[in-house]
Amino acid sequence: MSTASVPIVRKRRIKGVGLFLILFLIALVFLVPFGIVAFTSVKSQGELIMGGVLALPQQFRWSNFVRAWEIGKFGIYFKNSGLLLLIKVPLGIFLAALAAYPLAKMKFRFNNAIFILFLLGLTIPVHVILIPMVVMVKNLGITNTLWSLIFPYVAIGLPFQIFVMRGFFRLIPDELLEAARIDGASELWIFLRIMLPLSLPALATLYIIDAVATWNELLVALVLVNADAARTVPLGLLRFQGQFASNYTQMMAGVLIVIAPMIALYIFLQQYLIAGLSAGAVKE
Amino acid sequence: MTRRVVPLLVALVLLLGSLASAQEPIVLRLFSYVDVAMYEHIQEAINEFQSLYPHIRVVHETVSGSGAALYPDALRTALLSGDPPDVFFMWGGTIAEPYMRAGQVRDLKEYYDKYNWHDRFIPWAVQATQYQGVTYGAPVLVQGIAYWYRKDIFDRYGLTVPTSYAEMEQLAARLSNQNIHALSLGGRFGWHTMRFTEYLLEHTAGPELHDALNRLEARWDDPAVVEAYNLLKKWVDNQWLVPNFLNVVPDDARWPVYRGQAAMDPEGPWFERTLISDEMQGPHWDFFMPPTDHEPLRYSAFIEQLMIPVASRHPDEAALFIDFITSPETLRKYPQIFNTPATVGVTPDPELLPLSYKFQVILETSMATYTITDQALEKELMDTFFAIQDGIIAGRYTPEEGAREMQAAVERWKAEH
Amino acid sequence: MNRRNRNLSPYLFLLLPLAWYAIFLVYPMLTSLWISFTDWDGLSPTSNFVGLANYVRFVAGDSVARRALINNVLWTIGTILIPTGIGLVLAVILNSRHLIGRNLIRAMFYMPAVVPMVAIGIIWAWMYDPNFGAINEFLRSIGLAHWARGWLSDYSTAFPATFAASVWSGIGFPMVLYLAGLQSIPQDLYEAAAIDGCSRLQAFWYVTFPSLRETHIIVGTLAVIQSFKVFDMVYTMTWGGPGQITQVLGTWMYFNGFQYYRAGYGAAIAWIIALISMVVAIPYIRIMSRD
Repeated sequence: MSTASVPIVRKRRIKGVGLFLILFLIALVFLVPFGIVAFTSVKSQGELIMGGVLALPQQFRWSNFVRAWEIGKFGIYFKNSGLLLLIKVPLGIFLAALAAYPLAKMKFRFNNAIFILFLLGLTIPVHVILIPMVVMVKNLGITNTLWSLIFPYVAIGLPFQIFVMRGFFRLIPDELLEAARIDGASELWIFLRIMLPLSLPALATLYIIDAVATWNELLVALVLVNADAARTVPLGLLRFQGQFASNYTQMMAGVLIVIAPMIALYIFLQQYLIAGLSAGAVKE
Repeated sequence: MTRRVVPLLVALVLLLGSLASAQEPIVLRLFSYVDVAMYEHIQEAINEFQSLYPHIRVVHETVSGSGAALYPDALRTALLSGDPPDVFFMWGGTIAEPYMRAGQVRDLKEYYDKYNWHDRFIPWAVQATQYQGVTYGAPVLVQGIAYWYRKDIFDRYGLTVPTSYAEMEQLAARLSNQNIHALSLGGRFGWHTMRFTEYLLEHTAGPELHDALNRLEARWDDPAVVEAYNLLKKWVDNQWLVPNFLNVVPDDARWPVYRGQAAMDPEGPWFERTLISDEMQGPHWDFFMPPTDHEPLRYSAFIEQLMIPVASRHPDEAALFIDFITSPETLRKYPQIFNTPATVGVTPDPELLPLSYKFQVILETSMATYTITDQALEKELMDTFFAIQDGIIAGRYTPEEGAREMQAAVERWKAEH
Repeated sequence: MNRRNRNLSPYLFLLLPLAWYAIFLVYPMLTSLWISFTDWDGLSPTSNFVGLANYVRFVAGDSVARRALINNVLWTIGTILIPTGIGLVLAVILNSRHLIGRNLIRAMFYMPAVVPMVAIGIIWAWMYDPNFGAINEFLRSIGLAHWARGWLSDYSTAFPATFAASVWSGIGFPMVLYLAGLQSIPQDLYEAAAIDGCSRLQAFWYVTFPSLRETHIIVGTLAVIQSFKVFDMVYTMTWGGPGQITQVLGTWMYFNGFQYYRAGYGAAIAWIIALISMVVAIPYIRIMSRD
């Protein structure tokens, strides 16, 4: 770096700080609803009702969090949802990438037809496939195990993931693949050693999107699972509402407990958003 | 040779399997929508049931949350997938009707005879479990709608419980002079607003016509309906109702009452427990049945019941469980399970829950009820009723237009069914 | 040999995902397609074939369905313009290497996207509450009390207010996809643009925006598809009300199929949703993919 560029860097720093402050303030306004969640989570039900949702908490009732953890059965449900993040999400993304590679990079007869078939799965509302799905899970004899969620979840997630992966695979220059093919590389080698590594930002992005979707999925889990051993986190959140009353304060504590891992995961995955991977590879 | 051996082996394995399973306890699946607190109370009773009948293990699965919304979805899927519960909770009337019509639930006559349930339950509650003369359910809870009010506000302004509809309006007007809304409603879903609309209908139409309307035997563009809609509009225009309530969640409609901005909320006997869980209990609460100017004075009522699916593999054990959980002995031992049980002669503790006790006495002794509208009309028609109710409150329909729309919807409905 | 392998290889790659997809999704979809031609109530053991009657009902005999369809079109246009546009702008800004606290700001803007639907309904009911809601309180405090209203209760504001909440929770999704897309733009394109004397805005228009074409296809198509099957937001925030003013096809399908015991009609609405999204999405993908 030449000495002449130092003032430019400093100027950019200052601009960076200014931009940070502006964005931070906008983000704070954007997150006002979270303030409500946070305030509510430490109040008593009486204080919430009489003081309103915007009032600052007078007494901090941290026990809401302890009670929320018990009511939501998060001890069990976190384990199940966590297992889904470790098994279902990577498995689904890997299968999607397998399908997306030929769809994006190979010419073959049924390419378009298969792509459209996958797209169709993206457009159909999940409600109408619930009952056949329950019957199938029952026939497979996996009812009330975590597998009863993993099989349908992977299938439901595939169209979306294939669509996204196909788009990102298309960005990888054909020259790169041709060069590898000329060198005698197998398609599998190309897939594992070129396509996947060069798509790291897309894979990380898919992981967070699918992790959040899986973590929060309610309807399929509700109808497919009716034993605690295989229930997931959103079913725990339902337990705060009764027929005639809702325990808002403990529920909001529960909401914070539930979203914390997802925010941590997002921050963690940030490091895989690395610019210039594919661009750099072309130059080689 | 091997071709014969294989089926034989399979048969042997199946036989051994069935022998082994015969020694295992019968698993009875109970499906419900109860909340966490009630779940724990029911579990205590289940524990006793299991010690009485060691060959039965009861697995209680509950889908709590957002009232009546999610439970039927989960229940229906369970019934259709061939893996049904053995006994399940259900509301009464038209909410249960599709299950009876589709032949999904069992006629319970043999169990009514076997356990002599005929005398066990409050008669109108049993009636509410019937469809075309067949009894499909055992009622567990009786509920009614009363107008719960802030006694301290009434006392402060020298107001008394109204004894006629005219007095009801006077009460609202006098509260309004003090900048207090008479009634707080939560319009989301429609059913909370309905508790007020159906009261107005009972007042303007009278018992006979009101029942005929709900049975779709009278015309909904009747002047009495128009008049009820007129009154609804009047309450809105005078701000006797807390304004802008059309999409307020029913649970949140209580807040203005808690804060003294409104004086009344139409709720059932469960409301005393709601007050406790909202940390709002105290001596400043009471309720009354709203005056209709008709004899007998009727109030809106409904039930909750237990049903046995036809596909249940253990109907006898399910009936045994129903018999246990609705018996006076069990209910007295575990008073937390059902606040206002349908079983005759069991009441809430008058010391601990005086208002629930008072309510239970009314529910048990008074035959004068009408079916709550959302258990009288089928859901599809009910949603039209809700939409028209909203339209009148928002001024998008005149009362006459609203009544005409409702009649048109009823005619369409009848043509299709 | 090698040649034949190359011909077979697309199918070898597709074998497992396609089989998985066919068993667990295509088969249930075909079942629902069949149901859409019947009068099944969703509970009875039997049903009758009624041909296209359910589809005819949608076209000819259902005024709420028309309202719902209009709402879906509005929702789609709004989604393509607003959360997508904000997501793009945010992604470009937050991609800047010079921005301090970049990860923190990204996480803050992404936060609403991780909130479960159950909670979104409650939070926004409180934001919009006519009596104690945050928005009305704010308006009153800055002297605009006459603007305060029951945002979700008022026929004219219920739908826009529901949409606004969906913007809040819907920005994170296009933002992360655009952030991923931005990683693939070669840095030398910007260097070339800088040499040509492009301003940053020009660089955005002439370099960034066109280079994101594949991401535009992804984000745009998903915006259309998800807007036509939108369900959660309306279900948790308004339940289709007041009146039926905020019904969308997704909720109307649910009400018919689940609450009104018209499983056949509900399935037909589901397939209409799917067909409309396909008809909009496929030409869009075609046109955008043209070199």
